[in-house]
Amino acid sequence: MNYDWSWRFLFGPSLTGEGSYVVMLMHGFGWTILISLTAWLIALAFGIALGVARTLPRGVLRRFATLYVHLFRNTPLLVQLFLWYFVLPEWLPKAWGDTLKSMNLVLNQVLTVLLCLSLYTAAKVAEHVRAGIASLPAGQYRAAQALGFGVIASYRHVVLPQAFRIALPPLTSELMNVFKNSAVAMTIGLMELTGTSRQVSEFSGHPFEAFAFATLGYMLIALVAARVMRVIEARSRISGATQT
Amino acid sequence: MIVLDNVRKWYGTTPVLNGCSARIAAGETTVICGPSGSGKSTLLRCINALESIQQGSISVDGVEVTAPKTDLCALRARVGMVFQSFELFPHLSVIENLALAQIKVLRRARTAARDRALALLDRVGLAAHAEKYPLQLSGGQQQRVAIARALAMDPRYMLFDEPTSALDPEMVGEVLAVMRQLAMDGMTMVIVTHEMEFARQVAHRMIFMDQGQITADCGKQAFFDPAQQSERIRAFLGGMAQRRITP
Repeated sequence: MNYDWSWRFLFGPSLTGEGSYVVMLMHGFGWTILISLTAWLIALAFGIALGVARTLPRGVLRRFATLYVHLFRNTPLLVQLFLWYFVLPEWLPKAWGDTLKSMNLVLNQVLTVLLCLSLYTAAKVAEHVRAGIASLPAGQYRAAQALGFGVIASYRHVVLPQAFRIALPPLTSELMNVFKNSAVAMTIGLMELTGTSRQVSEFSGHPFEAFAFATLGYMLIALVAARVMRVIEARSRISGATQT
Repeated sequence: MIVLDNVRKWYGTTPVLNGCSARIAAGETTVICGPSGSGKSTLLRCINALESIQQGSISVDGVEVTAPKTDLCALRARVGMVFQSFELFPHLSVIENLALAQIKVLRRARTAARDRALALLDRVGLAAHAEKYPLQLSGGQQQRVAIARALAMDPRYMLFDEPTSALDPEMVGEVLAVMRQLAMDGMTMVIVTHEMEFARQVAHRMIFMDQGQITADCGKQAFFDPAQQSERIRAFLGGMAQRRITP
C-alpha cells in the first residue's frame, strides 16, 4: 500500500476556511470534553438518586427507577439519540417543536446530546450505585437504624459513604465510557472529536493521520480520567481494610 | 419496663414467634437462650422495631412499639443494641463511630459528644485506640467499641444479640467482662447468648425459647436447678456443656 504519511498538513490552512486542520481538531477535542464532562456530572447526580431509589423498600420511586434503568440501559445509545433529535420535536406540542427546530442549530445539537448522554449514563451509574449498596452487609443499615438514624440519615452517613467506595472502580470505567460514547454526537452533526477527524480526513486526504489524532485524543482523556479516579480511590481507602 | 404481650410473627407462612409474652423490669439482666432457630434474635429485634410483628404488642416504658405514630428513631435511641458481627462503621474512626449518632440523633455538640465518647472508650479500656479505624482492631476490641457506641446514646436498655458468637475464644472474656461490669452498674440488659457460665453469673432472669415460644421464664436459681428443670432445658444445657468440652 502506498500511503503518504505527513503530519505537516495539520498546520496548513483548512479547505473549510476555519483556520488550520489542527485548530479544527482541537475544537472537536474541546466539544468532546465539554459535553462528556457536563453529561457526566448530570448523570452522576441523577444516577445516584436512581440507584438509591432502587434499593428503597417498595413504593413508586423504586418502581420508577427500575423501569427507567431497564429502559435506558437496554436500548442502543444511537437509537435514543435519534429519538431525542428526530422524533421528540414531532411528538411535542407543535409550538414547542417549532421552537426546537428554529433554534440555533449547534445549541440544539448540544442540548440534545447532553440530554441523551446524561440520561443514558445515569442508568449505568444507577446500576453501579445500586450494586454498591446491595453488596454492603445488611447489618450496617440495621446498626444505623438501631442507633436512631432515620432512612435518610442512615443512607447519608452509613450506607452511601461505603457504597460509593465500592462503586468507584466501575464508575471509573463508566466515566471513560462517557467520553467514548460522546462520539455518537457526530451522527446528528455535532462536530466533536470523531466528527472533526472525519471532516479533516475528507478535506485533507489524510485519513490515517486524522483518525490517529482522534485515537490519541481519546487515549489521553482515558489516561487522565483513570489517574484522577485512582487518586480519589487512594484517598478514600478505608484504613485497615484488606487491599484488593 | 419492656412488656411483650402475645407477640406473633411469620416469615411468609412459617411461624417464627408463636405468642411470646414477657415483662422485663428496669435494672434486671435477662438472658434469653435456646436452640438455634428458636426465634431468640428475632424477638430481640422486635423490641426496637428492627423487625415488625404481625400480632400482639410490645411496649417500652409505656410507648407502644408497633403503633404507627410512634417515633421509632427516638425509641431506638433509648434502646441500645449490640450485634453479633459488631457492625461498626468501617469508614469512620473509632471515636467518630461513637460520636456520630450523638451529634446527628441526639443533637449533642461535637465537643460534648467527643468527651462522652472518650469517657466510654476509657471505660471499655480502649481510649488509646480512639483515632484508629474499626478494621484495625481485633474482634474483641471491635465488640467493646460497639458496646461503647451503644452506651454513648445513654440508653435505658441494652439489647445484646449473641455478642460473643463471632469472636475467637480468647477474646470472649474481655467482652463478657465489659458486660458484667455493666450489669453490676445496674444497666437493664436483655442478652441473647450461648454463654451459659456467664448467664449463671450475671443473669437475674432466664428465658428459654424453643420453636418460637417462651417455654421457660424464671429466676436463674430455678433455671439452673436440675430438680426444677424441664427435660428439654436439661437436654439443652447438657448439649451446651458438651460443646465446651469437645475441642
